Amino acid sequence: MHSANDLTSKRRWQAVKDFFYGMTGYEFVHHARQMRHEAESIFLMVTLGDLVGIPVMPPVYALRLLPFVAPEIAAWKRQLARRKEFWEKEEYDLHGI
Amino acid sequence: MNALIAVILGAVTVYLTYTRYARRIDRNVIQSDPKRATPATLYMDGVDFMPTNRNILFGYHFKSIAAAGPIVGAIVAATLWGWLPAMFWLIGGVAFMGWVSDYSAIVMSVRNEGHSLSAVAHRLVSPRTRTILFLFIFFYLLLVAGAFVGIMAQVMESQPRTHLGMILLVLMGLLLGQMLYRWRVGLIPATVVTVGVTLAAIMMGGASEGFFKGFNEAFNSLTGGNPLVTYFDPTLANFKGAEAKIMPSLLFWAVAISLFCYAGSVLPIWRMAQPVVYVGFWITALAMLLGLGGAALGTITKPEVAQFQIPMFKGWNPQMGPAGVMPLWPMLFVTIACGAISGWHALFGSVGTARQIENEADMLPVGAGSMLAEFLLGLLALLAISVGAKGSPVAAFANGLGGFISVWGFPVQYAVSLAFAAFIVIVLVVTQLLFRVMRVTLTEWLGEIIPPLRNQHFSSFISIALAILLVMTGTWIYLWQLFGAANQLMAALSLLLVTVWLVSVGKNWVYAGIPMILMYVTTVASVLVTAYNLYFNVYVPNLEAGRMLPSIGSGLMVLVAILLIFAAILIGIDGFRAFFKYLGRPAPSAQTAPAKG
Repeated sequence: MHSANDLTSKRRWQAVKDFFYGMTGYEFVHHARQMRHEAESIFLMVTLGDLVGIPVMPPVYALRLLPFVAPEIAAWKRQLARRKEFWEKEEYDLHGI
Repeated sequence: MNALIAVILGAVTVYLTYTRYARRIDRNVIQSDPKRATPATLYMDGVDFMPTNRNILFGYHFKSIAAAGPIVGAIVAATLWGWLPAMFWLIGGVAFMGWVSDYSAIVMSVRNEGHSLSAVAHRLVSPRTRTILFLFIFFYLLLVAGAFVGIMAQVMESQPRTHLGMILLVLMGLLLGQMLYRWRVGLIPATVVTVGVTLAAIMMGGASEGFFKGFNEAFNSLTGGNPLVTYFDPTLANFKGAEAKIMPSLLFWAVAISLFCYAGSVLPIWRMAQPVVYVGFWITALAMLLGLGGAALGTITKPEVAQFQIPMFKGWNPQMGPAGVMPLWPMLFVTIACGAISGWHALFGSVGTARQIENEADMLPVGAGSMLAEFLLGLLALLAISVGAKGSPVAAFANGLGGFISVWGFPVQYAVSLAFAAFIVIVLVVTQLLFRVMRVTLTEWLGEIIPPLRNQHFSSFISIALAILLVMTGTWIYLWQLFGAANQLMAALSLLLVTVWLVSVGKNWVYAGIPMILMYVTTVASVLVTAYNLYFNVYVPNLEAGRMLPSIGSGLMVLVAILLIFAAILIGIDGFRAFFKYLGRPAPSAQTAPAKG
């Protein structure tokens, strides 16, 4: 059994660790997510035809890819449809003034 | 006065502001509701909209807004008016305006589907406002880039001990990018190697000083020790005015910095800009943490390093001789920008942070908490300059911070090297990012009319050339104050948008409206004062002496000042019109998100 004090100090330690992670590693994770998204966008573009029934790739490959693509479709649609400011792609560059 | 009392004063300010004011506004005016869905949860796309833990987001937002601004501003203001007015504005500014601006921009974005400030301006105020905001951003970036390149070239020319560290910083940044993204090395070992090597190079700065001094002298001997350009600078020689000289070594370092910024602007972000910022962050964070702790501890263990040495107050309008007028109001309030209030924070908060807020209850700790932490950074810079007092303002800051660091047992020589490096690193890494955003803004703004500007190399070159032209005026202090005014004006404009939004949804707008009016009037007045100083004290004397380069540079700055005022007046008219429209007839609220569950 953990005492209430133990749990509080654990939570505080976790908060400090999260804060440092936010200042250090999080931006690399964020950038990696953006890079993955760009790759996935191309992937989705390639397989979209099969998804809506227009074969633009040999179906045997497309059908093997579709299960991996399907969970990403909702997020991809939101990304594509959202109105963006021109500097957003450089959003990271706004840091630190 | 000593550093410990100032640190306690800072801690009390943070505590009272957060618990007695900010929390009440969050609870009673904004009525943040932990059950209401945020854009991050509603529109999660795994990239921009991503619910993120509040502590991680606090660290991310703080790191994103904390940089050279609070440090340089405090140094200049303490030199001009003394430490008391600077401390007064830092405390008063952050307590009643700074956190309001940062927090409210995030709140407005969260309650408006994660839209940026300009998108909200387009919807609530007028389409024209959005366009003017873009123009405003470009000139703002130009001013800050000019101010940063100028101070960095001066420091690097006069401090050869910093060169080895800076060269290694760039090389280690490049190596880190390669290690993380290509060789797939873990973040911790990659950090240990790159930050360790950079730190070692900084500490060895003293040993390499002789080599780089000889390098500078060899460069200067190319012209027989004569300057390349001479101009009149009214801010030199303790504001008595003097002939300033641009030596070949200064030009060399300005060009070297420009090449570095050019590479940061055109290379993929992961290759250079991001890893260099990361390595630089560790250097600066280490110096600041050791310095803040040393400032508190030093009062007891080493009192001589913690006693204030600069004058408390130098007057309401200190005699500036040929440098013209420098009244405390409005100039102090733009000289210290980021440590008290900053428009850039609002811009970033609305685009980056707001879209990652997981829960409305996180808006206050992330938005207000980060701004209050940045205030502590500004306070540390003020302490360092107040106890340093030897040499130029930057040297005094480094000596003061070095003194604080030496409290932990480091030899003073190494501690001062680290402090100098921390200053240059924080300015250097920001400058490369500035040119990147300038390039994008320039392309968007004029790319249709002037097609070559769509080329990233050409637009980067134009941005850097314009900034160097500003540097060549030699009147760095005016350039800094113009940047501060643009930054504070952006804060006033973001507060104006927040006020319009608050009134449009029927909430009490006073907590944002009063700071907005104060900042709007103050910053427009300060731009007028700076334009006056520039025209009569820099442009006219240099033109009469037939010095074309400083005349063109200062003339350009006056033009930018007029443009800023023009843009601010247009946005102000549109904003106030929208305010009175909604005041009489509350508009339907922005599409607020439905409650979860």
